[in-house]
Amino acid sequence: MENSKETGIKKLLENIKKLKSSMAASYIREGKPESDMSRAAVMFNNFFLHFQGVKTHLNTLRPTYTFGLGLIALFLLVFTTISGFLLMIYYNPSIEHAYNTVKDIRYVVFGGDLTRNIHKWAGEGMLIFVILHMARVLYTGSYKRGREFNWVIGIVLLSLTFVLNFTGYLLPWDQLSYWALVIGSNIAQSPKEITDILGITKFFDIGGFQKELLLGGTIPGKETLTRVYFLHIMLLPLFLFTFLGAHFWRVRKDGGLTKPDDFVPSISPEKMGGIFTTHKTYGLMALARGKTPAVDRDVENTVLSWPHLLRAETAVFMLTLAGVLIYSYFVSAPLKELAAPLIPENPAKAPWYFLGLQELVSYSAFMGGIALPSLALLGLGLIPYLDREQDHVGVWFSSRQGLYVTITSFIVGTAVLIGILVIVINFGWFRNWWPDVPQVLITLVNPGTIWVAFTIAWSVLVINRTDSTRMGALALFTLFLLSFLILTYVGTELRGPNWEFYWSRSQWPVH
Amino acid sequence: MYQRFYTALLIVSSVALFIFTLMAGYREITPDYKSYKSEYRDLFRSKATGEFMKKKAESIDFSVQQVYLGKLNRIDRCINCHLGVENPLMEDAEVPFKMHSGNYLETHPVAEFGCTVCHYGQGRATNAEDAHGTDRETHWDWPILPLKYIDSACAQCHDQEMLAENGADRVLRGEKQFVEKGCRGCHKVNGIGGVLGKALDGIGTQPRAYFPMRYVQGDKTAYTWLKEHFDDPRSIVPESEMRIVLLKDEDADLLTTYILTIRADEMPRDYRRIRTGTQEVPGGEELYKMYCIACHTTGKYSVYDEIFKRTIPAIMNPTFLRVADDNQLRRFIEDGRANTQMTDWKEDAAGLTDDEIGRIVEFLAKSRPAKRGKLFGRSIFDGDTARGRDIYETRCALCHGEDGMGGKNRLGISLVTPVVKEADPEFLLQTVRDGREGTPMIPFGSSGINLSDQDILDVVGYVRTIKPTASPKE
Amino acid sequence: MSGETQGKRKFSRRDFLGLATIWAAVISGFTVLAGVFRMTKANVYYEDSKKFKIGKPEEFPIGTVKQLDEKRVFIFASNDGLHAITSVCTHLGCIVAATDWGFQCPCHGSQFNSDGKVIAGPAPRPLPWLEVSRHVDGNLMVDASKEVKPGTKVKIYL
Repeated sequence: MENSKETGIKKLLENIKKLKSSMAASYIREGKPESDMSRAAVMFNNFFLHFQGVKTHLNTLRPTYTFGLGLIALFLLVFTTISGFLLMIYYNPSIEHAYNTVKDIRYVVFGGDLTRNIHKWAGEGMLIFVILHMARVLYTGSYKRGREFNWVIGIVLLSLTFVLNFTGYLLPWDQLSYWALVIGSNIAQSPKEITDILGITKFFDIGGFQKELLLGGTIPGKETLTRVYFLHIMLLPLFLFTFLGAHFWRVRKDGGLTKPDDFVPSISPEKMGGIFTTHKTYGLMALARGKTPAVDRDVENTVLSWPHLLRAETAVFMLTLAGVLIYSYFVSAPLKELAAPLIPENPAKAPWYFLGLQELVSYSAFMGGIALPSLALLGLGLIPYLDREQDHVGVWFSSRQGLYVTITSFIVGTAVLIGILVIVINFGWFRNWWPDVPQVLITLVNPGTIWVAFTIAWSVLVINRTDSTRMGALALFTLFLLSFLILTYVGTELRGPNWEFYWSRSQWPVH
Repeated sequence: MYQRFYTALLIVSSVALFIFTLMAGYREITPDYKSYKSEYRDLFRSKATGEFMKKKAESIDFSVQQVYLGKLNRIDRCINCHLGVENPLMEDAEVPFKMHSGNYLETHPVAEFGCTVCHYGQGRATNAEDAHGTDRETHWDWPILPLKYIDSACAQCHDQEMLAENGADRVLRGEKQFVEKGCRGCHKVNGIGGVLGKALDGIGTQPRAYFPMRYVQGDKTAYTWLKEHFDDPRSIVPESEMRIVLLKDEDADLLTTYILTIRADEMPRDYRRIRTGTQEVPGGEELYKMYCIACHTTGKYSVYDEIFKRTIPAIMNPTFLRVADDNQLRRFIEDGRANTQMTDWKEDAAGLTDDEIGRIVEFLAKSRPAKRGKLFGRSIFDGDTARGRDIYETRCALCHGEDGMGGKNRLGISLVTPVVKEADPEFLLQTVRDGREGTPMIPFGSSGINLSDQDILDVVGYVRTIKPTASPKE
Repeated sequence: MSGETQGKRKFSRRDFLGLATIWAAVISGFTVLAGVFRMTKANVYYEDSKKFKIGKPEEFPIGTVKQLDEKRVFIFASNDGLHAITSVCTHLGCIVAATDWGFQCPCHGSQFNSDGKVIAGPAPRPLPWLEVSRHVDGNLMVDASKEVKPGTKVKIYL
């Protein structure tokens, strides 16, 4: 016993000495990433890394192919989540205290103002980068070859990003929050416009139900804040992260990012290293029937993810973090007066990313607030199913013709949209010409619906002229992007009190 | 691949991140108030004489300080810059280090009252611009109260007599202006007053957005708005129907001070020092000023009002008073004159008690001539209405309108009102016969147009049958 | 029994049971879902009653318009009687301001004439006229949840 006791202590001391290396070895089980094998194993065996391939295609690393847009959106989500946790420590979701706690976060919490700015700008940055990422995916034709459904998931993520931003906007309970909530809840109620026309509001008041679901009442109040808070911190993030998981999982299963079929590497193959010699696959070949999705035919154009991909990702991470921090250092998140339910803001504006919609809403609440956005999301979601041409994937604009179609669509679309806006702003619409026009006509025929009709007609025309559905997709998406840009600009900068037209904010009558 | 590019990106981003993290950290640990604190410490050092004071000067706490006022639902951080408010050495120092003037802090210790309860402003803010909140871009609802209006804050807890005894009589003097300029003729306070203007309840605590600031010249605050709009209401709110309150600059400040005491909130009981006593009952003349003077001015002459687009009758006119007895006057005041700006003032409407109306009538009756007019001796209307209609159309329609409704751009008043319907025969007959001195209503009897008594009986009989048309003619 | 069913419906007992199981699951699933959504709709709201007293008729002299800010309603008194028009815009719920010619909404520029009829802007419906009635105690009541036909006025004078 005496003997074994000594050995026991000895063993313990030995283990303590080896603690550092044994702990490291237990985490990185395959030793230091010195050989290609162990580098591959690091990626493969690590929970946090294994959702990326062991090897990464050179095209994926090409900065001008992706511009890191999706990755930036992801990192912004990480920052906004972490800063959100920090803000939750101080924020109190009750109408008595919400505003004051936001003020306190600003004035007396160490780094509170900066954290709030980061939360705000990273959230809104997400919107921008999700849209840019979507544009990249579309213009490189990356919604094809098995990636169709992942594009649809992307659309869901885009919508969730909008709603998350909107619910966050409501939490400080200032004038901006309150009146955005009034407008938002009434947009939710706007199907009433249609049920009223059909005369079925009494039995089937879907609009009223949606509004009361959001508000927990008929006007924004304490119930509303509870619900919005719950949506913002719990339900919507849960959905977002779930769909995000599916989004990444599918990217991985589809064999990583798209790449041109005729990719020519700019470095010699022997530098790339590798353990695979032939084709690689991502399907369960032996167990499942059917085709395996997206098999790489150019394994030779890949490099090991460790360190190449991770270096690139880390660089984008730091770039994003630095960008958000510097922007938040200089620009403060807005906070207006405490909510005053009896004193509407004039103009009462939704947050900027909804001002394009608000412009549409100023023609017809139901069309602008529900029908057209749903139609836009539906149209975007259908793109991969309506355009099934499988060539030119992974090339920006597919071809010279694609670039030409995009530019032409941009120019024609800008001219037409501005033309429509000029008519509306100068001459008004039906009701200004025939005061007794029935509401159903305005709901159905208004500048918004005319514009959407034009985008559809133009895309069909492009398909007809080029004999290519891919060109139609390019045209449709370009017009979508363009209308988002122009309408948002008009709603933000050119609309003043009473939603009247002003060339700039400085011309607004001072309120 | 692209190893150099990503490595360079990584390095540049990391360096930028590091620098800005340090900068952000530096900004966090050097808030504005710390520089005030060190400046204050230097000043304190230079003034401190004894050992005790020197020690105090060295022990200034540089972390953020606040007064937490649970009962008042406030947090005040003003003391981070206004450091010397309780320090007798700072009597002659400059603001923000100056000691609080007077001996107010002896009875209102900062620890118990804070600052914003009297001075307003944003107690939670930790920099001067936000804390004072006079700039509209700070988005702060109740900016710091200019000292000339500070008395209004005292009225939250103290009654006016107590304030007047202690030198803070500006509220009382402001109320005098409020009464004498007849504000209540149009504005309700606590449910009593006219209906033409907005009720003033809670005006002192209305958020900034309540006041349309577009045309305000000075600071965009409620205080400036109130003061400037006394001078010329339509220069601040173009569609306003309010008349210009002729005030000296100083009186405008007093009136503003009083208006600001009309608040919607109430201080907790522990803080209030209101003595309950019998209030002095205002006399007839005072009541006349309070409720009538804004429209009727002296009451001697009738005037065509540009804002209301109609004629406001002279109610202390001898010919009027000669025909209108006390009961008649009381009825006018109690029931108002429908279709005009004259509202019904009785207790369940504009809120004057019977007693108060009685006193106003008494005051008006003082101007009544001793000699009454010759009586017609009628107690019912029995004129020939067909004949009366002809006379009406030639003699009366020009001013009172074919429809008898007076109104815009007409000199005459509406005849289709309950007041005329229910009036005493003698009152109407005599008014037509003798006219109304000082108004466009000339005598239609022997002393003027020379209608016979029968003519007058007929026309009055007709007037009583006129039915109102759908809506007042524009 | 099973043979008959099989012959008539052309599917086996097993198919029937399978389908029945699926449909039972789907239907009960939707029932649960309906219950869940119903739960989110509160039975009581923590806000002012939609039905409120506005005061005695004498407080509304003929020819006046009163805006009751907190009740979000305009009360018009004219020779033909009294009526109430909401001040909540039918477009997106902003509060309209009274002007010489009617009402102006600050949010999206909707305009209404003094009867509440839409004369410009995106508002889909006229401003509703609300039910005005007399309470047993003599006060006037407005029920903001009940609309009446424009032009319906309550006689209170003459």
